[in-house]
Amino acid sequence: MEAKFSANAKDVMSKRGLKEADIADVVNTAEASNRKLFKDGVNLAKKRIGEVTMYAVYDNNGEVQTAYSHRMVLGEPVKTTDEPDLSDWTCKHCNERAVIGSANMSYLGVTRTGPAIVCPKCSDVWIEEYLATMTIAAAEGLFEKKKA
Amino acid sequence: MGYEELFPPYNMEWHAHATKRFANPFVGEKYDRIDVDPVMLSHAAVACGYTIRDFYEKPELGIHCLAYIYQLYDLLPVTHWFYASPWLAELGCKMVQKDTLPPIPDSTPVETLEDVDKLEVPSEEDLRKGTTYPQYQRLYEYVQKHIPQTFVPISYAFDPVGEAAALCGVENFIMWTFTEQEAAHKLLAKFTQTGVNGALCTAKDYGSAMLVVASVLANNDIFSDEAVREYSVKYMREYVDKSFRGGAGPQIFYHCCGNQETAYKEFDNLVWSPFTVIHVGYSGRDVFPTETLVKTFGNRATCMGTVDTKLLINPNPKAVYDQAAKQIVAGRDSPRGFLIGAACECPPYTLPANILAMTQAATDFGTYGKW
Ligand SMILES: [Zn+2]
Repeated sequence: MEAKFSANAKDVMSKRGLKEADIADVVNTAEASNRKLFKDGVNLAKKRIGEVTMYAVYDNNGEVQTAYSHRMVLGEPVKTTDEPDLSDWTCKHCNERAVIGSANMSYLGVTRTGPAIVCPKCSDVWIEEYLATMTIAAAEGLFEKKKA
Repeated sequence: MGYEELFPPYNMEWHAHATKRFANPFVGEKYDRIDVDPVMLSHAAVACGYTIRDFYEKPELGIHCLAYIYQLYDLLPVTHWFYASPWLAELGCKMVQKDTLPPIPDSTPVETLEDVDKLEVPSEEDLRKGTTYPQYQRLYEYVQKHIPQTFVPISYAFDPVGEAAALCGVENFIMWTFTEQEAAHKLLAKFTQTGVNGALCTAKDYGSAMLVVASVLANNDIFSDEAVREYSVKYMREYVDKSFRGGAGPQIFYHCCGNQETAYKEFDNLVWSPFTVIHVGYSGRDVFPTETLVKTFGNRATCMGTVDTKLLINPNPKAVYDQAAKQIVAGRDSPRGFLIGAACECPPYTLPANILAMTQAATDFGTYGKW
């Protein structure tokens, strides 16, 4: 599958400083490894490239709709409840519905817990776009400020 | 004359020290000692010679008193100002100022099940034209202008169950949780969405919004664990989740007050952010044991241990010191950091000696490198 980029994706990526080659790499790696989330014809893939985790949201034809990133390094899920709410996403690898949960995340040598989408079977964790671009981005800024 | 003219210059050297110390729990540093947060509100005004009513009626004066007096007590480098019933004016309550209390609702706009259905959730735009949010805009403008080093944009949902109960009357609400559960949930959802809209205004205007949300009325004196889960935790979660979707956070302060003897476990299902503090007030009639707090939440949030609020008005600083010391020793190694606070708001007439006893306990038992 060759990654293509919608006008919206190009616009968003330029604002967020994301390169097409990197996001194409995210898509290709996910397709080759079958490690991604999916819902209603949309896929969510991620890959750590350099100091950031990059995400691509793309359709089944490989057209990227949006892309985003965060600098936190995702760790293992943190179990908080026996009855987590289900997310809209399914883990492709496990064919298991992912849940709205928590996971450890590390930045500047500090590990804390944050909200994440978690596959209950393989324990892979994901951060959705609204969190990565707002709350988690603000948290990264706060870590930098408090570490200074 | 502006209120800022009543206060000498703020000590920026102290502020730098307090800021570095306050960062400890959030970034795993070990500078100076464990911080003390007695959850101070109108005591700050009283300590500066004003009244409880002044604190709530004149928020700019109130918050400046807080910033000033925090230096005397060697507390936190940040300020807050709030009362436990935000957004009720926008939902139809008549709020009245009192001499010895925060503003309280003087009417219950929701009397019947039809009233619940008719109650409209104010939009962000409505809130901007209401009472609560413009009051915060004015307050934050003052802080940014006169004491900007203490500024943190905060949005309060406070206690959703308590607020819903204030809208229809506490007895009515508790009865509904048994007989009209759908209405109780509908009312809670409407209050929660109002709080979310307030958080979204704050996040939009200030770039972030610390979320303060509580479970106070929902405690084991009145509610079963299941009811705390169903009526309180559910809406605390919803508040944080929806507020995050609009860019609020990343800081969260969970204030779980009252007797949370067995219900405390339910708070495990809250939403955790990298900057979360959790605070649990009591277990039965006793302060909540820090051992249990740390064991339950220590690997996912900064824990705030508690000194019994009642002790703070007792002429016995040694009792405060001993209890604070015990809680600090139990919490100081908590993996995501620890603060020592009061179980609930420190009373307006808290004795200064008792706050000194808390900071002395933090120095004696919470200085890094000394244990
Ligand atoms: Zn999986």
